[in-house]
Amino acid sequence: MSQWVINGIRAGIKTTVYPAKADAAAGITPGLPMGGAYSAEQMNSLVACCPTGVFSVHEGRLIVDERRCIHCYRCARGIEEPVHWRQSYEWGMIRNDHGEFGREFEKSIHICVVDAGDCGACLNEVRQLNNPYYNMHRLGFFITPTPRHADVLLVVGAVTDHMKLALQKVYDAMPAPKRVVAVGACALSGGIFAESFVCAKGVASVLPVDVEVPGNPAPPLAILHGLLVAVGRKASASANSAVQAAETVAMK
Amino acid sequence: MNRDQLKSEIEQRWPGLAQCRFDGAICEVICVRAALPELSGRLFLEWNFSFTGLIVEEGVNEWQLRYVFYDDGAAGWIHVLINSPLADKTFPSIAKFVHAADWHEREAEDLFGVVFEGHPRLGDFILHDDAWQESVEPMRRKFNAQAAMLHRRPDTDWRPHRIVEEPGAFVMPVGPKYSGVTEPVHFLLETVGEDVIRSTPRLFYKWRAIEKLAEGKTPNEVLLIAERFAATTAFAHGLAFCQAVEKICGVNVSPRARILRVFLAELERLRQHAGAIQEICESTALVVANSQAGVLEEDLLRTSGELTGHRYLFGLLALGGLLQDLSNDLCARALDQSRRALAQLNVLEQRLRVSSSFLDRLEQVGIVPQRTAWAYGLLGPIARASGVTRDVRRAQPYSDYDQFQFDVPSESEGDGYARLRILFAEARQSVRIMEQAIGALQSGSVREQIQFRGGAALGWVEAPRGAAFHWVRLDEAGKLARYRIITPSFANWHGFHLSVEKFAFQDFPIMLSTFDLSVAENDR
Amino acid sequence: MMNAQILILIFFALCAAGILLALIVSTSRQAIVLAWFGCLASLALVWAGADALLGGNIFAQPLWSLRELDTTLTLNLDRLSAVFISITGLVLFPASIFAASELNREPDRKDGRVFSILLLALYASIALIFLAGDTVLFLLAWEIMSILCYLLIVCSREKENGHAGSGYLLLAMGEAGTLAAALGFLLLAVGSGSLEFGAMKIGASGLSAGGRWAVFLLSFFGFGVKAGIVPVNFWLPRAYVAAPRAFVPVLAGATLNLGLYGILRVNADLMPATHPGPGLLALVIGTLSALVGILYATTDNDLKLMLAHSSIENVGIMVAGIGAGMVFVSTAHPALAAIAFVAALYHLINHSLYKTLLFFGAGAVETQAGTRDMDRLGGLIKWMPLTALGFLAGTLAISALPPFNGFVSEWLTLQTMLRSAELSSTAVKIIFALCGAGLALTAALAVTCFVKVFAMSFLGMRRLHENHHVAEAKSGAIAPMFILAFLCLAFGVLPTYVIPALDLALNPLAGASAADNLVPPFFASNPGHTDLPPAFTGEFHDLGAQVGQSVAPGRGLVVLHRGGTENPVVFAMSTSYMFVVLIALLLATYIIIRLWLTRRRQVARRTRWDGGVRRLLPEMTYTATGFSNPVRVIFDAVFRPTTVEDTRDTVAEHFRTAIRREKDRVYIMDKLVLLPVKSATLWFARRLAAMHHGRINAYIGYTLLTLLVVWILTSLAQ
Repeated sequence: MSQWVINGIRAGIKTTVYPAKADAAAGITPGLPMGGAYSAEQMNSLVACCPTGVFSVHEGRLIVDERRCIHCYRCARGIEEPVHWRQSYEWGMIRNDHGEFGREFEKSIHICVVDAGDCGACLNEVRQLNNPYYNMHRLGFFITPTPRHADVLLVVGAVTDHMKLALQKVYDAMPAPKRVVAVGACALSGGIFAESFVCAKGVASVLPVDVEVPGNPAPPLAILHGLLVAVGRKASASANSAVQAAETVAMK
Repeated sequence: MNRDQLKSEIEQRWPGLAQCRFDGAICEVICVRAALPELSGRLFLEWNFSFTGLIVEEGVNEWQLRYVFYDDGAAGWIHVLINSPLADKTFPSIAKFVHAADWHEREAEDLFGVVFEGHPRLGDFILHDDAWQESVEPMRRKFNAQAAMLHRRPDTDWRPHRIVEEPGAFVMPVGPKYSGVTEPVHFLLETVGEDVIRSTPRLFYKWRAIEKLAEGKTPNEVLLIAERFAATTAFAHGLAFCQAVEKICGVNVSPRARILRVFLAELERLRQHAGAIQEICESTALVVANSQAGVLEEDLLRTSGELTGHRYLFGLLALGGLLQDLSNDLCARALDQSRRALAQLNVLEQRLRVSSSFLDRLEQVGIVPQRTAWAYGLLGPIARASGVTRDVRRAQPYSDYDQFQFDVPSESEGDGYARLRILFAEARQSVRIMEQAIGALQSGSVREQIQFRGGAALGWVEAPRGAAFHWVRLDEAGKLARYRIITPSFANWHGFHLSVEKFAFQDFPIMLSTFDLSVAENDR
Repeated sequence: MMNAQILILIFFALCAAGILLALIVSTSRQAIVLAWFGCLASLALVWAGADALLGGNIFAQPLWSLRELDTTLTLNLDRLSAVFISITGLVLFPASIFAASELNREPDRKDGRVFSILLLALYASIALIFLAGDTVLFLLAWEIMSILCYLLIVCSREKENGHAGSGYLLLAMGEAGTLAAALGFLLLAVGSGSLEFGAMKIGASGLSAGGRWAVFLLSFFGFGVKAGIVPVNFWLPRAYVAAPRAFVPVLAGATLNLGLYGILRVNADLMPATHPGPGLLALVIGTLSALVGILYATTDNDLKLMLAHSSIENVGIMVAGIGAGMVFVSTAHPALAAIAFVAALYHLINHSLYKTLLFFGAGAVETQAGTRDMDRLGGLIKWMPLTALGFLAGTLAISALPPFNGFVSEWLTLQTMLRSAELSSTAVKIIFALCGAGLALTAALAVTCFVKVFAMSFLGMRRLHENHHVAEAKSGAIAPMFILAFLCLAFGVLPTYVIPALDLALNPLAGASAADNLVPPFFASNPGHTDLPPAFTGEFHDLGAQVGQSVAPGRGLVVLHRGGTENPVVFAMSTSYMFVVLIALLLATYIIIRLWLTRRRQVARRTRWDGGVRRLLPEMTYTATGFSNPVRVIFDAVFRPTTVEDTRDTVAEHFRTAIRREKDRVYIMDKLVLLPVKSATLWFARRLAAMHHGRINAYIGYTLLTLLVVWILTSLAQ
């Protein structure tokens, strides 16, 4: 077995510099459309081409509801005037502020992951959190199989009818204090499946959600950001810029 | 045999009961109920046609049941059709001959209310009996979602279906939420304490009623659904859907788009196989191998993201080609990264081959014999590990696959180790195809104009987990009338229990990981 | 002035009076008669035994002299018998209450009268066996006891499976054992010229080595039948299952001890060991019994059957202790012999107490739930909390958990095994080591076994049909359980008082004082115990003497043994102090939680986490079979299941509708002993049957032949 030890050491360190610094590697995030100042016809064409209603116009500015974006890229590709795109990943937003989680949880939490109807991509991104690139253990995040030991409930997927009870049971089995982090467009609003008669319109219709992470799927760094927001180590994305705060408030 | 021979055979054996007619590449056999089981049995067992699936369509006045078979010989596609007035929805079950049809019939019974006589176990499949009452039939036109949800009367006396009659046997419930980062599936493992005697997974906890959701939408909207219902193989499913619609609308995608589609599909296959290898290493708790495979999967995800802007290749497919062209340089760069990833995969394979404690968990464990694999209609790498080597890229080439040189690896042991070896071998073949694709790239547009019109067609693709088939019917206005998705995980989940029976509980998660199953793909 | 003799008289008088009343009184009053007379009689027995043991009122009372056999029937209550009758009385007291409450459940039963009479007669016969001072009285009482046991099993109208056959087997094996034991006694009598125990004891030293072996083997296996050692114990599981609920506690708690009494009496008292051989054989057989017993107990699902197998296991431990003692006696290590005998006798007492308790619990469960199958029980603690509490005490005791009594005797037994290091012969030491390992394995398996029993019967989800009404057991069943539970705790917490008492009986057998070797006099002002470690004799000793003397009487509260000068290691334990510390810790934990923790945290009560299933059903929980399956799989070499049927019904290929697997397990003793004997007997009988072919001429020929043979023999004899 010594070959594993030697080769493991030789493989070196791959871990990302995030959250201490920004990670600028290629292919780590699908990015999101950027709102702001656009011409009126461009704004109208963007509003029309988006299948999930991400864009809206408010006081002459383009407002982007990131929670609805399913990354179809129809606003950026195959269109005459594509929208501006930002390659960011710090997307975690506080939805309901339940106050301080507590100092005990700042450094280390146990996360219970529930797939409530996910397509597989968000779940796969959550799995990537354990690989050497992201290594969430260094941030004190651990995945626990049982809700009894969990502090944070991470939900992916549009909540299907059959999974509603199981999700509720997981939440009930978690001891207080607890936080719910909903990851991915399907978990936030039902995504592309919102119209299905067996899908709920987001986790928020079933459980009280604390932090939302948009994306389809949300890349691992965005999920990390969401978790860091949940424990209070990073600021919520909507608090970052005043403009975005106003936009998100208007969306609700 | 070729199509004419097949036609004469059929019309000879079932004179007056079955008629063949050729419709392009498809041979449609219109048959009556009485002849159906035997005809299907002969096609499947004697003439070695693969059974794709059962497509049930509710027309205005009649049912049409379409049993799709295919061959890699000259015979091509066989669609066995049964038409019946709406009032008469009892059909004979073919599951005793074509065991692969078992779950197709159960799904049709749950979703449409069609009854298959002679099937030993209908019901409690998609619509769980302890969550829904009888006769909901959601796929029928008359279905009213509000009424169904409001007036539910689930069966409160539901008990797990038990087969083992040993004193002291009990049913170990694993799930739907069980350990780790896993998809919800409720395993009911019948055991007397040490080993699994029988495994009966209860699936469809993630049933999103995709096929119903798609009805009435435009193909552009449905493409989004096709990509996103099983997003770990998003490109493959999106491609199958595009091919179906393009066939209906008679559009020939440009050569550059075809080659790029092949390139992207193989990139997805490489990345998905790296992920499957990572899960196998994780399940056996070989930590360093797990980390190294994880690095490779992330590398390939970043390669995909860098090439196309999205790690899972969303937003690139369009009806008529691709939404956006990819420059040759970008593709060459992606190929370079893929080659490097493959080199490290090969090194990983060499190391795993000499790790005896790792191999102990996989060798001679979870054996699926070839005959059973064929009877269950298993697909993809796991079928090839048991010696069932039909690959739809070879059998019915699409998107210029017949221009490429590649091998379809196969093994005969059918155990976990064989499945692992197949994953590595297919990864090598994927990069081989990608290299040929780069070389074959011509310049040109990547998107053709497409005009939606009525019609029906089958689109197929060899997805990383096995062959996937999308049946699309568009109405005269160009909107979706029927969308049937037949996924490889649907077939492979059906046969999963074969590999865990008689093995101990410790082997269960490892066998689960070697099967590379996707619940999202199965549940739809 | 109540001394032992008068109390014994009172005991027999009460038994007789009870029998007479039972004959007269109506069926509905039987229970009261049995309860009152049984309890009073057993109390008299306890008092008599205590008086003889502690007060020193031993006596020997000749009764009738039989000139034909040249012997006198003698009642002899010496200290060894006193121990046995005390423990018997202690067990029979709650057993009478339990039996009476069983009779009370169905007051119109016709066999209630018969049962009471037989049971009271059984009490008398058991006491008579312990009190017998000569062979004839002993064997007479033994026969009466055997027949009474048989009758008690078959008289009850409870429709047990095959109870007639089990009764016959008990009787047959009992007779075979009695025959062997009688032969052993006769050999001793031949050697000493008298049938009385006193004379036998003096004359035993004149026996040859072969004679000693013969006596040992005959008495060991003869009495071993009653005790239940391998390989003659195959009647025991069947008989315990067949015995009615009211009788089986007496069977386990009182009659089992008779076999051990016989073994002890012959091999430790009448004929002390001079050669290590017999002791080693006893040790090995004891260990094997223990292992076989616990393996079957762990993998069995019938409450009564597994308790029967567990009795076999406990008897194995006792016999191993006796064997070790015999080895030490023969190799001139009297101190160690004393420890060994104390261990065995203590275990006997403990077994009587907790096994009876467990059988009370099993009987209560069977009455309420209607089944003994642990795979069908579960969750009963919700409906039978008191029964569960009593049963829990029994479970903890039998699993040898401190501060209960099982711990003390297990500890002493294992210490005995370890003490073999002081022997000189390597072969003997190896045997001791292996047997010690076997006993340790037994102890571990016993914990598994009883965790399974308690958890599967009382905890978890209820598997009985929901229409089946389960109520708490009647007070007539609960009170005896709590009496015995209290006694279990008492015997566990106060070993330093029990050991000196036992020592009074065992000192003459071993040749040394166990109390001196095990219970150092911490509370005495003048240290008379030279084996105390020097460190103790300094400060601790004064503390003990000053404080301890005022708090508790007796020598001290620590069981301590110090190896000899070649092996100066100290082994000590004190369940008394452990108990105090345990209570203190529990109290402290409770206070901390109530006063401090619950103030700072919130306590929420939610439903159990079940993986998110819609409803957790009882068939989704572990069964008793599943829990013990690992043990079964590992030890299949012992079980050797004979048939495995695996029929897979298929509607069509790949559609399986049923998988049926049946493992037919035949008890290994049946396979090794009973079935071969049975087939040999049948073979022999078939050969003999060849003689009977119905032809009159042949029979006349036989008669002529016999006549000829007799004529020749008589003429030769003249």
